[in-house]
Amino acid sequence: MEAARYLYSVASTGMAEKLGNIGIEEKPVYTVPYRDIAAVIHSCESRPYETDDERLAEEWVLEHAYVIDQATTRFGTVLPVSFDVILKGDDLAVKDWLSRNYVRLRQELERVKGKSEYSVQIFYDYDEMASRVLRDNPDLEGLKSRLEKEPKGKAYLLQRSLDMKLQDLVSSETSRLADRFCSEIKQLTEDLKVEDRRTWREERFRGKKLLASYSCLVSRDNVERLGEALENIDRLEGLSVRFTGPWSPFSFVSLEA
Amino acid sequence: MRPEKESCLVEVLDRILNRGVVLNADLIISVAGVPLIGLNLRAALASMETMLNYGLMESWDKSTRDWHALHGNARPLEDGETLVLKAFGYLWQEQGILSCWLPGTWYLTDKRLFLWRPEKAVFEVPLQSICLLKIDDAPSLERSEMELVHSGGSARIYIAQLETFRRTLEKAMRTTRALKA
Repeated sequence: MEAARYLYSVASTGMAEKLGNIGIEEKPVYTVPYRDIAAVIHSCESRPYETDDERLAEEWVLEHAYVIDQATTRFGTVLPVSFDVILKGDDLAVKDWLSRNYVRLRQELERVKGKSEYSVQIFYDYDEMASRVLRDNPDLEGLKSRLEKEPKGKAYLLQRSLDMKLQDLVSSETSRLADRFCSEIKQLTEDLKVEDRRTWREERFRGKKLLASYSCLVSRDNVERLGEALENIDRLEGLSVRFTGPWSPFSFVSLEA
Repeated sequence: MRPEKESCLVEVLDRILNRGVVLNADLIISVAGVPLIGLNLRAALASMETMLNYGLMESWDKSTRDWHALHGNARPLEDGETLVLKAFGYLWQEQGILSCWLPGTWYLTDKRLFLWRPEKAVFEVPLQSICLLKIDDAPSLERSEMELVHSGGSARIYIAQLETFRRTLEKAMRTTRALKA
């Protein structure tokens, strides 16, 4: 079978090093350097990792993530590679690929140097937000108190119109807040991506609505300040923030090399 | 507030399967020129993907979706458009020396066929412009590639369940023609 190399990341190092048997299925992981950059790889057969077994697939993905974390600890921020990217050929082919893409890879490494990716999700509680909006709108508050005195049929209609007005107000309030938070957070990041494709919520955020979700590329010096800004948001009535990281800059290295 | 280091599996999977550096397909292993990057694996993790995609629908209320629609993050489907089939796959791209299979999600709707990559459609063809679907009949391992000839040129498509995809696409094309006639 043809030789092949499974790729985990590209790191800032000019040294050939062994990272131990930390790869997928305990494969020995090592670096293949070219000038001052290196590919973090393991030697494998030239066929992709494939399985129908969900558990095994998860395990592989976590092992892949682990190698990226280890490489980051050792070499600083790396360019993380997607799962199952396998280069045809041996170490020389890896070196050849690095040399042909050297300028771009070097540039990207420079761009993410000293920075990490963080994920920020802001949730809101609809009922709390609605009662806040109600308090700020005396007209609606008045409508609500009138409700109680009306006969059933009329009260129903009034309630419906109140609910709809409230929905609109909550919607414009959340848009306004999202705009504000986005620009606040942006100032503390090197790069920011608004995420809308997928969301994940832990138990404690179930039943809440997502106000905004961002992937942020943050320089080390700014993490604390970002944390403070998020803390202030988290303290606001009806809002809660989920802040995770540091991640390897997955969302900020979209290059195809 | 300090960032939590603990992250859940779904977040890790999302990053490692959907983001990060991808290599030019000439360099990576393939069967008859077709890359095999994690197709099967994605299938194995399909339930996770579905969960992620549908989680979005449940948890985002209309105002949030509107906000995102306004703020530049386009969504794949247009108003009044119905999704027929969605599948992970590739499009062959030739740009000078950089030829590669571009991964993404193929969307077949009642109006058009397009490849969706994060935040934008990279290839798009209205159903009525599709002239011909060609599948190589060579007895390869698994036929997963087809050529799509349309009024503006042609495209090479790679998709895991090609037969299903082709049948569905042909049906959608017939329906479009019948509606026009």
